[in-house]
Amino acid sequence: MSDRSLLSDRPVFVVGIGMHPYQRRSDITYVELGITAVRAALVDAAVTWTEVEAAYTGTALLGMGSSRVMLSRLGATGIPMTQVENASASGSSAVAQACLEVASGRSDVVLALGVDKPRGGLGAAPAQAGIPNLEGGSIVPFTHFALLASEYMDLHGVSDEQVARVALKNHRNGSLNPFAQRQKVRTLDEILSEPISGSLTRLQCCPVGEGAAAVIVASEDGINRLNVDRSRAVQVLSSVTRTEGLYEEGVGIDAALTAETGMAAFEEADVGPSDIDVLEVHDAFAIEELLYAEALGLCQPGEAAARVESGDFDIGGSCAFSPSGGLLAMGHPIGPTGVGQIAEVVRQLRGEAGDRQQPEARVGMAHMVGIGAVCVVHVLRR
Amino acid sequence: MTRQPRHPQLLKVTDPPVMVGHRCTSCLRIAFPPDPYGCEQCGASATELEEFELEAKGSVRAVATVHRHHHLTPATPFTVGVVELVGGPVLKAIVEGEAVAVGDSVTGVLVDGEDHEGNPIVDLHFRVVT
Repeated sequence: MSDRSLLSDRPVFVVGIGMHPYQRRSDITYVELGITAVRAALVDAAVTWTEVEAAYTGTALLGMGSSRVMLSRLGATGIPMTQVENASASGSSAVAQACLEVASGRSDVVLALGVDKPRGGLGAAPAQAGIPNLEGGSIVPFTHFALLASEYMDLHGVSDEQVARVALKNHRNGSLNPFAQRQKVRTLDEILSEPISGSLTRLQCCPVGEGAAAVIVASEDGINRLNVDRSRAVQVLSSVTRTEGLYEEGVGIDAALTAETGMAAFEEADVGPSDIDVLEVHDAFAIEELLYAEALGLCQPGEAAARVESGDFDIGGSCAFSPSGGLLAMGHPIGPTGVGQIAEVVRQLRGEAGDRQQPEARVGMAHMVGIGAVCVVHVLRR
Repeated sequence: MTRQPRHPQLLKVTDPPVMVGHRCTSCLRIAFPPDPYGCEQCGASATELEEFELEAKGSVRAVATVHRHHHLTPATPFTVGVVELVGGPVLKAIVEGEAVAVGDSVTGVLVDGEDHEGNPIVDLHFRVVT
């Protein structure tokens, strides 16, 4: 049975969202970060912890066995708990597992949590695969994306300044988000200063800090049984995960993988790119928003920079891209990121996003990619 | 004494240097770097992959000068490029020189370096053909 029939046969709804702000690494334990987000999600859903039947924790950096020591502090109910690691998409995959668990009928109320604290390096497994290459340690993630920026700008005649405008927008959005690690409006001059790699500057690269995000998903039966406020429930229309295929030599894998994952997610949700009002995208580096806007079909190839410049991807435009501030401003604490995206989309679709509310938001999408490469896309509708 | 490459399975220290990839005898896919496990296109096992020499020549598809880096080496600033080899595979490597542009033709050059224990080795970089 495909996820498509599962999610349509037994609909899944997000009924609660909760956050611990993303921030620089501090002395706060991951336990405190995690339970802060979960308690907020329980309050938001008006559900008690004892009603939660299973938990999935997206984390890539904490090490083994993080869930129970954290969640048992809400009450050691003995429910199944599982850590989910999928690189930057770990939180997205925790959400996907929670949705699958509800859609399958095994549970009615499930928690997806993302929590992480940074440590030295990412410990990425592909580098330990025993497959040497010429680049050695010279290509770190920001340089990988600097090279993609070079190719994109050359192909489409796009300037450094046009790419930087993605960060200008997302820092502005982040200034309106109390959970964002970066909450400062920046000028274009500030964004173009402090070069890191190629055209990418410090403010066009995401900060990796700490934080937590939680969502509670439920079935119709769960909503009815717990008397959850149905008007604030947001349906998960699709949940699609794919990994990198074998593409034509030289094709940017991140965009190609996003294109095929997005297409499957649109099909499962039975909506199209023009239906998306809010899109939380993996903008770890400014160039990515342009690549993925085109890969997901929200505009034509080569058109994304002009759309950003025109304000079309602003809050209030045809589709609000990363109204949370995205990874660039809200931050990318790894495990929480994908869960935080879902929380933002739900907040927007409920009409509860305050100063950063996209008007009349009805359909939203959350997109993450991760080392491997993996891609996870969810489509939600109020 | 013959200079030793950092990764002997990738490189032959000849003049000019030769890169070593693999060709799958089952589906004929040519790949670089050579894979010790199997073919990503058809799933053939490593025993069905044969050594395939590639000319270290190509053109630059993308370029970036790195100003900050997570590691001590290479020392910044340095320039990396996406190079499309004349033999097909596309790879990333250090490109020597400051004025590197998309579309430039490049050729492989051997550059002296050290391994983690301080032993002398050579790496393959690329250089713009003038």
